[in-house]
Amino acid sequence: MVAGIVKISILRKGALEAAIRVVRVSKTFVGADEVRALDDVTFDVGRGEFVSILGPSGCGKSTLLRIVAGLIMPDAGGTVEVLGHSQTAPSNDVGVVFQTHNLLPWLTLEANIRLAAEVQGIAAAEISERVEAMLPALKLESFRKAYPHQLSGGMRQRTALGQALVRQPQVLLLDEPFAALDALTRDQLNVELLRLWQEIRKTVILVTHSIAEAVFLADRVLVMSDRPGRMMEDLRIELPRPRDPHSTKGRPDFSRYVLHLGALMGIA
Amino acid sequence: MNAALSRAGSSLYATLERVAVFIVLGLLWEKAVDIFAIKPYLLPPLSSVLRSVWHNRVMLLDQALVTGGEIVLGYAAAVLGGVLIALAIFAWPIAYRMFYPVLVLFQGLPKIALAPLMVIWVGYGTSSKVLMAFMFAFFPVVISTLGGLAGTPEHLVEHFRAIKASPWTMFRRLQLPAALPSIMDGCKTAMPLAVIGAIVGEFVGSQRGLGYLILEANAQARTDLLFAALVAISALAGVLYWIVELLANRVWWRAL
Repeated sequence: MVAGIVKISILRKGALEAAIRVVRVSKTFVGADEVRALDDVTFDVGRGEFVSILGPSGCGKSTLLRIVAGLIMPDAGGTVEVLGHSQTAPSNDVGVVFQTHNLLPWLTLEANIRLAAEVQGIAAAEISERVEAMLPALKLESFRKAYPHQLSGGMRQRTALGQALVRQPQVLLLDEPFAALDALTRDQLNVELLRLWQEIRKTVILVTHSIAEAVFLADRVLVMSDRPGRMMEDLRIELPRPRDPHSTKGRPDFSRYVLHLGALMGIA
Repeated sequence: MNAALSRAGSSLYATLERVAVFIVLGLLWEKAVDIFAIKPYLLPPLSSVLRSVWHNRVMLLDQALVTGGEIVLGYAAAVLGGVLIALAIFAWPIAYRMFYPVLVLFQGLPKIALAPLMVIWVGYGTSSKVLMAFMFAFFPVVISTLGGLAGTPEHLVEHFRAIKASPWTMFRRLQLPAALPSIMDGCKTAMPLAVIGAIVGEFVGSQRGLGYLILEANAQARTDLLFAALVAISALAGVLYWIVELLANRVWWRAL
């Protein structure tokens, strides 16, 4: 194995309090054909940790994220705990951003962000305060009155991020949020995401199929196998923070992580 | 030429295009009657129709108001009732199983055949015409509302579930606005049907309205008055449809 890469087992991270605990989760979709999407997946994520889940398309990583979000239930025997509570339904502690943005075409950018908090029953004044604080950080200030169809793809995904953040969740689940964007916008949004995360230090799970993105952003990278998805690797990324695209991606250990993960996924 | 002038120019041009069609058709009508020596009781020339419209303008307006009132009431009931029926079917699967087949069977009936029955049931007055307008118009509203509700994008439904929206919030803030463009299409389809319903209602039994006027003019062999009544009906139907279209255009987020 490449030097400098330390495999961390789940048990060895006992010092870090777990925000998310996924134990023996499997998922079989029953239909015309039975599809086994996930097979006995176990991992946990520490409070404030940034974890990337990496895997080929169709490996069940989005399914895994939806299970953590409480949107779908795992097969009997598997359990998911978020902040100590069993996750059997969506919760306000968890914010989700999907690949397809969730903006309502008939609402302005600002109204879209507010809606997510209004549903939670937060007072209007409090929502305004949060939105005012957030819009500059998301670089959306001057577009607040614009409708989704008037925004670029990058702005829409930033708004979707705003929809999740305005609810001030403890845990952020990101399902390939920037996958539909061009490479340049995507890199830029990743940098902004990192900066934002450094400020708020939420627990984050990011699902992606980009190795470089996973390594650049995360404290740990979990690698899943092709369907049925299993955990193949749990790799701690020891790159110093704050990270930035130039210096971090230029480091030799960055390349080693990328090569190692590429070999695991069979594309190196 | 600056942009504003150019815009005004092209909108003037578009108006001319529309008017030109009517002028050409009108001239063809006028000349055809003359050239083929068509008897006036079969097809009066356009000029005598227009003369009849002008002579009878007060009476035509009165009758149009009667028929218009029936249409508006029946149409409003059709939109309201159609949306409510669709909501019930959408919200309760049991309502779908029980009432949807009845609805489809009813839609298969020639509603014209029900008109005499309506007169027997609710009388010669306004109500039988309103009821006919309603029966003709409500079905497309039901279908378009159901289609719109069912067509709510799946990923938005999931998003609303993820933010723990209640069923009522999901309906009010997602499903209803998402269905509105489709509902508006149904409302547009329903408007001309309501017009037909009211006129049919008047045919079967009435002493007022443009439908009654047509029968009267027919009985007296006053074809010019019959055509004048037809002009009034198209004008009425056109204005009503235009109003619905103006309202529908406020739902601008279709096909985004």
